Amino acid sequence: MIDPALFDKLKAKIEEDTSVRKELDQIIEELNQHVSYTQGVLSRIHSTPRSKYPTLLPQVEEGIKKEVATIGKLNAFASKYPYYKYNYKWTRAIQDAIATVLLCAWLGGMGTEAKAGEVCRLLTVEEVGAIFGVPVNLLDRDAFHVTVEEYLLGLINIIDDLSRLAMNSVTMGDNELAVLISGFIKDLHAGFQVLNLKNDILRKRVDSIKYAVKKVEDVVYDLSLRNLIPAKASE
Amino acid sequence: MSGFKRDRNGNAKKNDGPKAPSKNIVRNAYTPLFEGLRDELEAHHDRRDRLGKASRDITALSKKIIFSLQRVRKIDNDLPQDIQKEINTRLAEIAKLLAAIAPEVQGINRYRYSRSLVCLEELVEALTFAHYLKTQTLIGDDELSAVVEDLARQGAAAAAPEDEVMADAGTDATPAAATAKPAAAELPTVSLTDDDYVYGLFDLTGEMMRFATTTSALTGKMASGGGAADQRTIVEDMHDLGSFFEMLPLRAGNKIQWEKKLEVMRQSVQKVEKLGYDRMIRGSERPDGWVDGWVPDLSSNDQPGSPE
Repeated sequence: MIDPALFDKLKAKIEEDTSVRKELDQIIEELNQHVSYTQGVLSRIHSTPRSKYPTLLPQVEEGIKKEVATIGKLNAFASKYPYYKYNYKWTRAIQDAIATVLLCAWLGGMGTEAKAGEVCRLLTVEEVGAIFGVPVNLLDRDAFHVTVEEYLLGLINIIDDLSRLAMNSVTMGDNELAVLISGFIKDLHAGFQVLNLKNDILRKRVDSIKYAVKKVEDVVYDLSLRNLIPAKASE
Repeated sequence: MSGFKRDRNGNAKKNDGPKAPSKNIVRNAYTPLFEGLRDELEAHHDRRDRLGKASRDITALSKKIIFSLQRVRKIDNDLPQDIQKEINTRLAEIAKLLAAIAPEVQGINRYRYSRSLVCLEELVEALTFAHYLKTQTLIGDDELSAVVEDLARQGAAAAAPEDEVMADAGTDATPAAATAKPAAAELPTVSLTDDDYVYGLFDLTGEMMRFATTTSALTGKMASGGGAADQRTIVEDMHDLGSFFEMLPLRAGNKIQWEKKLEVMRQSVQKVEKLGYDRMIRGSERPDGWVDGWVPDLSSNDQPGSPE
């Protein structure tokens, strides 16, 4: 009833699929290690005053360089196969990597020769793609890239971290930073309202932004109540 | 407008339409960024919705084909005419749906929306079952892919003349629009993935089990090709198919689904085994050709020997 050649072919296909997954797992594991290290370095922003950023951020950038190298490997390997067949395996790692880059740039890192880093700078999805050395939002060909969803989810990741930083910066006496963060998060919150979201993971995560907004508003309220908002920042 | 609201004095109210959402979005530095991404996301959601709808329809039609096929009573090169006709109509509808979604699932989008296209598993089940009933063999994946791609092309071809007729009927028809028709080979088609094929085959075992059960109950024989006594029966085919799956390596993607399907497949094989055993034991007690109340092929006008 069954052509023996058919069995051999299917068996070979499944075996190939399994070995692709194994290889991907290895690369993704490596990426996760770099991301986790970079996140660890970034966690020190909560106890590092802004004046020390020039020594902290280069360390973060070191971590990001390692992320970029691994993403290059992933790009080379994954582009050989249908992108969305395996995308679910690495999408979390990529989102976290995007978040580290976005946060580092927002704090004033990721400066280039053409454009020096500055606080409160939001990288676009294209800029993130350029840093990773991969295309973004590919629609016309099937290869590795960073998707719009991954960028937005990475962006939501840093909102949480920044709202925490707003509090800690006040503790460190940097009220201006808290006010900057507050303005940024509120702007993003308004920005996310522009999107027409379906009932999916993105919607769920966007809904969580309001808690970060509340957190930074409370901080700014406390500051304004005591007349602690610096004149420069309140403009 | 069906009507309007009135106030307490009976006069028509003015502002009775749905209020325009007064979404006062505060524009800021990031608004353009989000507006650009919004279109991206919307295109994705819309496409997924369209595919989901077509998928539901194709699933329903495939199930109907399977129902029709379950009314067949023997494995034979030619399906009973009325059943073949039913299937052809359903297939023509499926072809149209496939042709409609084909442009949306090209290249990178094929796997992006593979979860919205579960209908293909069902279609594989229907097509492999039909192939089995005709030839008592399992159709290969390449062969089946060609069938599905052909369906999509047929659907596109069937849709095209309709446009022409409509254009002709219109008074201000532009002939240029009707003449520009791409060659059939260039039309986008829907491709099958390996998963569609393998998971469709799992479901095929269930249909074969049902088929074996009904035919042996109604005809008193295990279904087999032709009439010769030494013919291979469906019991052997089920064993072949069972071993086929048992020998395949565990698919890494979704282990739970794979194992579930494997378990259901094993049960189907064992049910058919039991049938074969019952036939052996009890069937021998019955005179040759005796059946529990003769039940005609449900396609009574298609009996062998009946005048065409």
